[in-house]
Amino acid sequence: MTSKKDKEVIQRLKEAGIDIYSQINKGNDPTYELPVRSLNNVFFDQKTKTIKLGDKKSTRNFLNIAHTRKFMQTMLIASELKKVIEEEATVSIRDLYYALKHTIEGTEENTFENQGESDPIIEDLESSLNLLREELHLAASSKGVISGSMKIKDGKDTIDLAKMGSGGWGVPSNVEPDKIEIKDLSAEYVLFIEKDAVWKRFNEDKYWQKHNCIIITGRGQPSRAERRFVQRLNKEHKLPVFALMDADPWGMYIYSVIKQGSISLSYSEEKLATPDTKYVGLTVSDVETFKIPKEVTIKLNKLDIKRLNEMKNYDWFKKKEWQNEFNLMKEKSIKMELEALSKKGIRFITEEYLPQKIKSKDFLP
Amino acid sequence: MAEPEKTKIKETPKTPEEKKVNGEIQKIKPKEISAETLAKEFKEHSVAEFFKKNQQMLGLSGKIRTLTTIIHEYVTNSIDACESANILPEIDIKVQELGSEYYEITVKDNGPGLTKNTVGKALGQLLAGTKFHRMVQSRGQQGIGAAGATMYAQTTTGKPVKVISGTGNGKAFSLELTIDPKQNEPKIENMQDIDKEFKGLAIQAKIKDVTYRISEQGPLEYIRRTAIANPHVQISLTDPTGQKTLFKRSSDKIPDAPKEMQPHPKGVTVDEVVTMAKYSDARKVGSFLKSSFDRMGDKAVQEITKMVSFDMNMDPKKMEWSDAEEIIKAIKTISFIAPTTEGLSPIGEDQIENSLTSIVQPEFLKVITRKPQVYKGGFPFQVEVAVAFGGNAGRASSNGGTEGETLKRMEVMRFANKVPLLFDGGGCAITKAVQTIDWKRYGIQNIDDAPLTVFINVISVHIPYTSAGKQAISDEPEVLEEIRLALMDSGRKIARHIIGKKKLKEKEAKKRTYLKYAVEVAYAIGELTGKKKEEIQKKLHDIVLKRLKLEEKEEQKELSDDEVDKEIEKETKKIQKTEEKKKGKKEKIKGIKKVKKEKE
Repeated sequence: MTSKKDKEVIQRLKEAGIDIYSQINKGNDPTYELPVRSLNNVFFDQKTKTIKLGDKKSTRNFLNIAHTRKFMQTMLIASELKKVIEEEATVSIRDLYYALKHTIEGTEENTFENQGESDPIIEDLESSLNLLREELHLAASSKGVISGSMKIKDGKDTIDLAKMGSGGWGVPSNVEPDKIEIKDLSAEYVLFIEKDAVWKRFNEDKYWQKHNCIIITGRGQPSRAERRFVQRLNKEHKLPVFALMDADPWGMYIYSVIKQGSISLSYSEEKLATPDTKYVGLTVSDVETFKIPKEVTIKLNKLDIKRLNEMKNYDWFKKKEWQNEFNLMKEKSIKMELEALSKKGIRFITEEYLPQKIKSKDFLP
Repeated sequence: MAEPEKTKIKETPKTPEEKKVNGEIQKIKPKEISAETLAKEFKEHSVAEFFKKNQQMLGLSGKIRTLTTIIHEYVTNSIDACESANILPEIDIKVQELGSEYYEITVKDNGPGLTKNTVGKALGQLLAGTKFHRMVQSRGQQGIGAAGATMYAQTTTGKPVKVISGTGNGKAFSLELTIDPKQNEPKIENMQDIDKEFKGLAIQAKIKDVTYRISEQGPLEYIRRTAIANPHVQISLTDPTGQKTLFKRSSDKIPDAPKEMQPHPKGVTVDEVVTMAKYSDARKVGSFLKSSFDRMGDKAVQEITKMVSFDMNMDPKKMEWSDAEEIIKAIKTISFIAPTTEGLSPIGEDQIENSLTSIVQPEFLKVITRKPQVYKGGFPFQVEVAVAFGGNAGRASSNGGTEGETLKRMEVMRFANKVPLLFDGGGCAITKAVQTIDWKRYGIQNIDDAPLTVFINVISVHIPYTSAGKQAISDEPEVLEEIRLALMDSGRKIARHIIGKKKLKEKEAKKRTYLKYAVEVAYAIGELTGKKKEEIQKKLHDIVLKRLKLEEKEEQKELSDDEVDKEIEKETKKIQKTEEKKKGKKEKIKGIKKVKKEKE
């Protein structure tokens, strides 16, 4: 049975089609309006504390030789999405690409030559229709794992995340409330860990059991599902979220994506970002605080410094604490990986470093 | 007649050689030869020696060039003869291979023919009947004329040239002809009347040490260009494989015979003044000057009289070199009206257009005739230029092209007084002028990849050839500039055409693009809305056509020169950009690899 949400989404797709149809019927050049999705139309919303898309709109015209192919592709994807939802199926963005790829009659040209052509158009539709990818029945790939003191209900299955062994539970691509129900939550906070290897250390040491929390990793830059799930834990269940990242510009940027969102998904960050997230570590000042030997730090390279300078100028990093941290990093010209803490002992990170950081509330905002 | 007497080439006296004898340098004196001996030998062998020594100069060197030159001599004679008899020329040429580098050439025309009295002199006497001091625009002989061909035939094969001639009145006759090299006299054998009706002249010569080749310098190209520059001539070539190529005439108008002109004082040399004075009928130098030179009036003669030291009333035949020098010196200080241009006979814009249309079949053609000008102050000349683009224009490049399409490169056809110049292109003013043109400015990005034929005919009563081979025009600044101006003018016309063509192409491509996507859009909108797809497609179709029609209306306004310039500049920049991008991409990839390495 088609859900109420699905009906609404189908209606929105149909309306977009009717708008184009009536333009054609009037003999006009059919035009589709969509928000501009570039850096100059992205801003940091002080109210929601997330990155947001601005009001700038652009049009995609059928009778414009530079637009016409994309216009055609947009229409095709919209029609296919409607079909998928009506059939109550969920497809991957790669499925969608293959489903729509065909040779245009009388030519040797394909509707889509590669997935690189269809993916951005999906994002165009998401932003212009103001719908989440999941609402369009599109499965984004997910790669994150999670363990902790909680149970969830996935369809008919109830899963205890405390009993997932060494591998943890793989986060599914759609974690919307109508798919994943959160049950029996006894954890007190969420620990978002950048790296899989470090997450495994925490899982092996049963950190989540000892400290009554949930540990999750996105294995590098997290995908939407992990971020959305963490947001739900924070918004629906008021759990604080702590991020544990490498002390380098890349780890710190991943933190900012979890907290405020990314530029490329700016149109749906309200549904993905968790502005309450706090940065628990690593920082350059930890080197002194925890007397970490110099030899496990790494010298900044040119690319690091370039990225650091860019980040210093982002609105959401303008806070004094972050500026100090960046300045210190530049001054000492060092970075450090989470694994470097193993120098002080294999379980130093789970037994000393993190408990102490959380206890002393030594966070970056 | 058998082989001509072998020329004894006497060793010329060498400069005294140096030889070391017992460490001492001794000069060895060569044996002296008396002046009488030299003179005797010179006289005996003059014609043969001259011929042999000057083969190269006369265009008879190189296996391809020699064959082309000999055919040229016969063809030129035929066209001249027909024109002077007011006959539309029809010329058939046949080249047969008799052995290795051994050919028989037959040239047959429908001209007035030669009489038994004139045939010998015309074909059997070297350097007979020169037009040395005539100021008339003529095709001109490439040094030696038909007799040279006779001579070449007998020196390489020992065979006489066979001739059949018919004047149309009375019986035709045939004969065999050689040249007596000692006397430079024609030797005629086997002359006999023939019963067949024949009007015209047919010559058959056997020659060795030549090669037939289809190349830019071969006979076929020569014939093709001759046909282009002489639209009233019908000419055919049967090559050694038996393949016949016929160039039909594209005009029935025999060009008016160019008028003979008097030389303009500013263009005359001391030597010419002396020679002309000798043949003058005038009684006094003053009247000789007035009657022999263009634009020479009483006033000019008076001024010269004031400046020279000798008596202007003396008999011109008694004029000496120094006197002529004084006259030339005086002429330099006097200003004359520019020479008359009556002597020039251009092919004509319509005629060139006809012949190029029929032979090159271009997609676009523009002919430009410049006004007559003067070079070196005294020689009138005129430039005719045609540019043909697309169709069969351009020369198939040996580099080949992409599948199915042959790559065409720019073809430059040089002519002097309607005669194709096939050799020595590098040193020719025409080539130089073409090279100085920035073709990119006229929308031709790469001359090695352009279906373009450039036709340039320089006409003058006195073409400034670089050498006696008469295959290259020297770069007189005025001549060079005229060619350049004509090329630039025609370049602009091509540019306009290329832009128009490009716009049309773009429009068609646009239409195709919109219409093919319309099918997909109609499908998608149909799916989204439940409306009929065919109906949506039909409406989209109409929208596309309506839009393109509107654009067409705007484009129909003729482009101004400035707009043409702008369009070409745009296009050139585009091409430069893509080239830079290609470069940039490569560098970028290198850069990325570097960064990756650093990360690792």
